[in-house]
Amino acid sequence: MISLRFSFFAQCLLLLLLLFACSWISLFSWSVITVTPADALHALYNMNQDSIAQHIVHDLRLPRVLVGIMVGANLAAAGVIMQGLTQNPLASPSVLGINAGAALGMASVSTIAPWFGLLGSSIAAIIGGGIAWAFVMLLGSAWRGGNEHGRLVLAGVAISALCAALTKAVIIIAEDQAAGVLTWLAGSLTDARWQTFDSLWPVCLIGLLGAMLIAPTLNLLQLGDDNARNLGVSLMWVKLGGSFLVLLLVGSAISSVGAIGFVGLLVPHMARMLAGQDHRKFLPIAMILGACLVVLSDTVSRGIIYPAETPAGAILALIGAPFFIYLVRKRTL
Amino acid sequence: MKRLLVIALSTLLFGFSLIAQAVSVEDSKGTFSINYVPQRIVVLEFSFVDALAAVGVSPVGIADDKDSNRILKEIRDEIGDWASVGTRSQPSLETISSLKPDLIIADISRHEGVYADLQKIAPTLILPSRRATYEENLQATAIIGKAIGKDKEMQARLKKHDEVMAELAAQLPKGKEVQFGVARDDALFLHTADSYAGGVIRALGLKNANTGRSDDAYRQTSLEQLLTVNPDYFIVGNYVTPSIVDKWKSEPLWSILKAAKNNHIYAVNPNTWSRCRGIISAETMGQDLIKVFNAKK
Amino acid sequence: MATRSLPFLILAMIGLLIANLMFGAVSIPFKQILAGLQTGNEHYFTIHEYRLPRTILAMLVGAMMALAGALVQGVIRNPLASPDVLGVSHGAGLAAVFYMTFFPNADISWLPAVALVGSLVAALMLWWLCGSHSSTIKLAITGVALAALYASCIDFLMLVKPLEINNALLWLTGSLWGRGWNQLAMLLPWLLLIPFALWLAKPLNLIHLGDDSAISLGIKANKLRLASLAIAVGLTASCVAICGPIGFLGLVAPHLTRKLVGGRHQILLPATMLVGAILLLLADLVARTIDPPIELPAGIMTAIIGAPYFLWLLLRTK
Repeated sequence: MISLRFSFFAQCLLLLLLLFACSWISLFSWSVITVTPADALHALYNMNQDSIAQHIVHDLRLPRVLVGIMVGANLAAAGVIMQGLTQNPLASPSVLGINAGAALGMASVSTIAPWFGLLGSSIAAIIGGGIAWAFVMLLGSAWRGGNEHGRLVLAGVAISALCAALTKAVIIIAEDQAAGVLTWLAGSLTDARWQTFDSLWPVCLIGLLGAMLIAPTLNLLQLGDDNARNLGVSLMWVKLGGSFLVLLLVGSAISSVGAIGFVGLLVPHMARMLAGQDHRKFLPIAMILGACLVVLSDTVSRGIIYPAETPAGAILALIGAPFFIYLVRKRTL
Repeated sequence: MKRLLVIALSTLLFGFSLIAQAVSVEDSKGTFSINYVPQRIVVLEFSFVDALAAVGVSPVGIADDKDSNRILKEIRDEIGDWASVGTRSQPSLETISSLKPDLIIADISRHEGVYADLQKIAPTLILPSRRATYEENLQATAIIGKAIGKDKEMQARLKKHDEVMAELAAQLPKGKEVQFGVARDDALFLHTADSYAGGVIRALGLKNANTGRSDDAYRQTSLEQLLTVNPDYFIVGNYVTPSIVDKWKSEPLWSILKAAKNNHIYAVNPNTWSRCRGIISAETMGQDLIKVFNAKK
Repeated sequence: MATRSLPFLILAMIGLLIANLMFGAVSIPFKQILAGLQTGNEHYFTIHEYRLPRTILAMLVGAMMALAGALVQGVIRNPLASPDVLGVSHGAGLAAVFYMTFFPNADISWLPAVALVGSLVAALMLWWLCGSHSSTIKLAITGVALAALYASCIDFLMLVKPLEINNALLWLTGSLWGRGWNQLAMLLPWLLLIPFALWLAKPLNLIHLGDDSAISLGIKANKLRLASLAIAVGLTASCVAICGPIGFLGLVAPHLTRKLVGGRHQILLPATMLVGAILLLLADLVARTIDPPIELPAGIMTAIIGAPYFLWLLLRTK
């Protein structure tokens, strides 16, 4: 483990290098039209307008990678904040019902009530996720604090099941839309374009900055609610603000690529192993790791039944679910 | 008087049933025999409606998803009114039973689970429809012809169908590469060489685009993959407008598609091309294609 | 109070039984129902072959699922627990979807058996991971995590092989469509579990006083838990195998019953069976008659009826 005890900046640098490598590989790998690694770089600097390969890199792959990076960072940061707020190692957008709620909002808008369209599917996703999260927090009595980790998770699961059942109902009623909605439910970067990037980055920037700002307070929460209060933290405002940040981060990610799950559960734990318990350090590490994870699984998702694509979210779920089981078994609840 | 009528009618019916001697056909569950000419037929997939309409038989009930527009107008005009028996995936058995059918035509892929129940209502012919290829569909159509006592008419119709298709093929350029896809709000599904539409395209002397791995009939496709398939002619059935293809049209990559460069992208009725799957719709598809190829001149 | 609502429940159930036989895509007058039981009657198929087995099935499945829910909630002592947290229905779902995608041409009548095996394997898996010494809440969360694993595998399969999506989804929502006497016969042996469950009522009351007092009263808390959960697994697995996972029944029915008759298991368990039967009969009736001839899966109706009630209830009990 000595090799892991680099200084914080060295760690960040190495992870950024890793992220760069993942992104670069993602730019050229698994394409039916041959895209050389060199093409991938050319498309970034001086693009040859006649080369289809470079067009693919510039118009499809590059926004896809960038969106993947932002989504990964968003979800990881959201997971860190949620675990910090609830002091629950299992807290994450997918376990606590935000994903399922957002999916329900999105599915009902796009299938049952298309005239709702003026609302916009992304707003529907955020509203749905917000309502689900509020219910989970209320039911799990997360506001009171304490050590009832199980209760919170059970509340999340019950709400998730509820949303999932209704989503399934919506899909079956509108049979023809089934396949499309399923892909969206799993979360896929296939349709990420420059427009997606343009609408995502401002929210992402605000959300991530907000997360960095709240990090020192999260450190105080680790001392327990009472101690935090004695140190002058207004629990109410921290929790409200934190929840708002989580919704912003998760909502923007979900509305641009669908309900990608388990990043928020998995990554904070990995980051904690690398950088220890200080939120100011492991939050940025978590963001970079999340980005790596999403970009990597997006790359794999293109290769697994090549040339067809599997949604990246399905791959992440396959990695994430066993990890969830591992966490449950390891932690004493 | 009434009794006399009944006797007369039953003798008449008896007479008919003697004329129409028992026929046996092979369906997906083995041998199917029927010794009368069915008058009240209930069908549970669109392709069977097409087969009945081809020889001028009207079903009494159709699993039409409660949306009569899903059936082609040509066919609707031919068969007149019918009763809906619910969705194709879960048809209402009691509605079927209340129609008192004397033949049910069901799809092996969707209705195998209720085959036993259907048989309790009426003799049930179960044939491939969903996921069936063009060739399988023609075979199923011929079997239906035999089972409803219209073997001769159906053979004649199928022969005519071959001629019509040959005629249509003659008007179409040979060996052009055509790809059909169904566009929804957020996804494009290409119908590969194994699909029904792929088979019709081949039967018309055209070529399927190479979609790579071919173990599935319908494949969800991203813009990047569409670029690699890069068909000469691209036929789109839009289930909703604007569909995802309309969104893609505003992207710079779209203009790299061969079909987009040469203006060879055409919209067609997705019901004809994807849902109905039968000889009438195949002929309509051929006519659609002729319009497509004449439009460019 | 407690015993007074029982006759009402029984009456409501009988009323719904009759309504289920009378209404559907075609309404049949009350007087004709009995006649429909005889061969040769014009309604013979509709009544005897279609509505009767389906109605009985709805009644039994509703009762069994609700009973399983009451047992699980009794053991885990959390109002949010339900048979779903054991991962049993997701295990069944995974087995069924696996079977449907990889053997599309195989005989569909094997599906219940496959699903049953899947759910039992899921239960064994949970037991293997937790053993009999874990705390109940840990057991529940492990079950949830396992369920999440199965769910992600289901999604993965459905996305990689998209052709069977609608068939699989229909099954995964839970439906009584197309279920008849054969399926009913498959369910019958499992009814034997019900007397055992009722026999557990008294000890279940005692562990509610806390493990220590239960032990001092001569009850082995761990064994009791194991037995209750095993029975709940058996009940759920058999129902899921036949109808698919019908959501919320196991969660909502015990809650509703507790409000009506209180928490004593001797009354709670039989009453919750009645309530479960009533709920599923109602859901299936609505699913069949809301827009005939279209049939919705009953699982959708239980979710739509059950979900808002469940939320309201939880918010009120806070």
